[in-house]
Amino acid sequence: MHNREIVVDNLVKRYGDFTAVGGVSFRVESGEVYGFLGPNGAGKSTTVSMLTTLSLPTTGTASVGGYDVRSHAYDVRRVAGVALQEIGLDPLMKSLELLSLQGRVFGMNYKESMRRAHQLLELVNLTEFTARPVGKYSGGMRRRLDLALALVHEPDVLFLDEPTTGLDPASRRDIWKEVARLNSELGITIFLTTQYLEEADQLANRIAIINQGVIAVEGKPTELKANMGGDAINLAFEDVSLVDKAISEVQDMVTRTQVDRDTLRLYLPNAAAAVPAVVTRLQAAHLHPISLTLTQPTLDDVFLKVTGQRFTTEEKEEKVA
Amino acid sequence: MTTAVIRPTQSIAGYTGPSRKMPFLVQVWMMSRRSLVTMFRDPAAIIPGLILGVFFLVIYEASLGGAAQFFLRGQSYLGFILPLSVISTALSGAGIAGQAVIRDIDSGYFDKLLLTPISRAALLLAPMIAAALVLVLQSSAVVVVGILLGLEPATGWLGVLTLLGYALLIGVALAGLIVGIALRTNSASATSGASFLFFPLTFLTATFTPKELLTGWLKVAAQWNPITYILEACRSLLNIGWEPQVLFTGLWVSLVVCVITFAFAYFSLRARTQRR
Repeated sequence: MHNREIVVDNLVKRYGDFTAVGGVSFRVESGEVYGFLGPNGAGKSTTVSMLTTLSLPTTGTASVGGYDVRSHAYDVRRVAGVALQEIGLDPLMKSLELLSLQGRVFGMNYKESMRRAHQLLELVNLTEFTARPVGKYSGGMRRRLDLALALVHEPDVLFLDEPTTGLDPASRRDIWKEVARLNSELGITIFLTTQYLEEADQLANRIAIINQGVIAVEGKPTELKANMGGDAINLAFEDVSLVDKAISEVQDMVTRTQVDRDTLRLYLPNAAAAVPAVVTRLQAAHLHPISLTLTQPTLDDVFLKVTGQRFTTEEKEEKVA
Repeated sequence: MTTAVIRPTQSIAGYTGPSRKMPFLVQVWMMSRRSLVTMFRDPAAIIPGLILGVFFLVIYEASLGGAAQFFLRGQSYLGFILPLSVISTALSGAGIAGQAVIRDIDSGYFDKLLLTPISRAALLLAPMIAAALVLVLQSSAVVVVGILLGLEPATGWLGVLTLLGYALLIGVALAGLIVGIALRTNSASATSGASFLFFPLTFLTATFTPKELLTGWLKVAAQWNPITYILEACRSLLNIGWEPQVLFTGLWVSLVVCVITFAFAYFSLRARTQRR
């Protein structure tokens, strides 16, 4: 069994006065799926580029599969598979050429590389498109071929930098399935960056939320959500001004409150059971919510708590783009 | 709508995991072949150099061929000027190498390759060698046109092959320079601009007359310009015969230039990694 850990200690990347990554530390165990979650420009890709030897850390240390990214860059490249956010395919080449060349670069002979290429094309369902230059592929096809390229040498550690950005929901789920399978069947450690909360929630054993170059919170998705203070009662009011009044009325009943536009979110240990009491209290104060829903905390709530901003808007914009 | 059916990846028989290392020359060969193949898929980049080379040959011969009788003492002006059009072509050929690197940077494929254990030197040599081979092809066309115009190489076909060997070295040397610039600037326009900037170098030498007839600052410039010695070697092949001294000087100078420009490309790549 290979060492498949990623160990990062106080990693910093500065460009002049700008700090892209401001000292992150974490440890990914062998065979773990680690989600690195954050909005655009949070430092996700910069971290990946340091861990995969594309750029040098300003300070701090990191090792992948037991190899230091600075002093043993060659070995890191040998054991790591990488699919960057920016797809890296030569548009003039064809899928088999790309896959076979990739295999050869990793030490396969021609025959092995072709066999592997055919296997992977089947895996990502691109077998029918071998005659077409990659430049004529759709975005989803290119993304899948790029992932196949990262898998050619059966890496110990797989870095996926926003692997599903720009994909349609069906392709996205296919990638999720494949990531989960690679992890469970082959024991590949997966470092996954994403802007999609759902993706991190589905795939990752542990996640870190990175914001403005530092890790804001780290843990298992279930734990992070549990730490939000139980379930929540969401109350919408006709008028935003009523929200403040409502807070003062119910303050003593809840562990925490959160305001998102005209919606007041009340966190309390046993939300469902507490609904009648909350409603009675509000009605006594002549406050009549126009809607009431019960929710389990989501990673979105975790994100809002630790960064003070919503994640969802980002996600929607990204879908349009 | 794409609905991929995901099947398990099986290990390949005989593949023992990511540990074997490909010999350096095999890496260079594989990557050069890939560069060459993709260059030919984009022929628009190759044709201008070809036309340019032939154009220079025809135009120089037509405009200066008569006057040259005075200083060439019976030698063929065609044989004198043909190496110059090969070098002019080499400049555009070097541009091809730079464009190939820029194309890979833009498509993200360059990063994809940097993420593999492939030797960085092989990665840089590939476009240089591919562009040099394209230059050999273009130079062959120039030689064919020269022969059609009446050129009779003094050293025969072997001499022509030797000339093409020099063309290969010139191609590698200039391509190294341009690849380095491409890596430093990341810019297609800066890279093609740079190849134009080197164009004057072909005039700061014994361009139209033998070195002995040059005077003043141009003579000094020509003495320091490596192109002078490569030109002299090629001219001697076509017009005089086998002159070991001249040929060795040309070879030695071109090899030194190759090493220098390759080093420049190599350090440009390192600087690029440090900058990121």
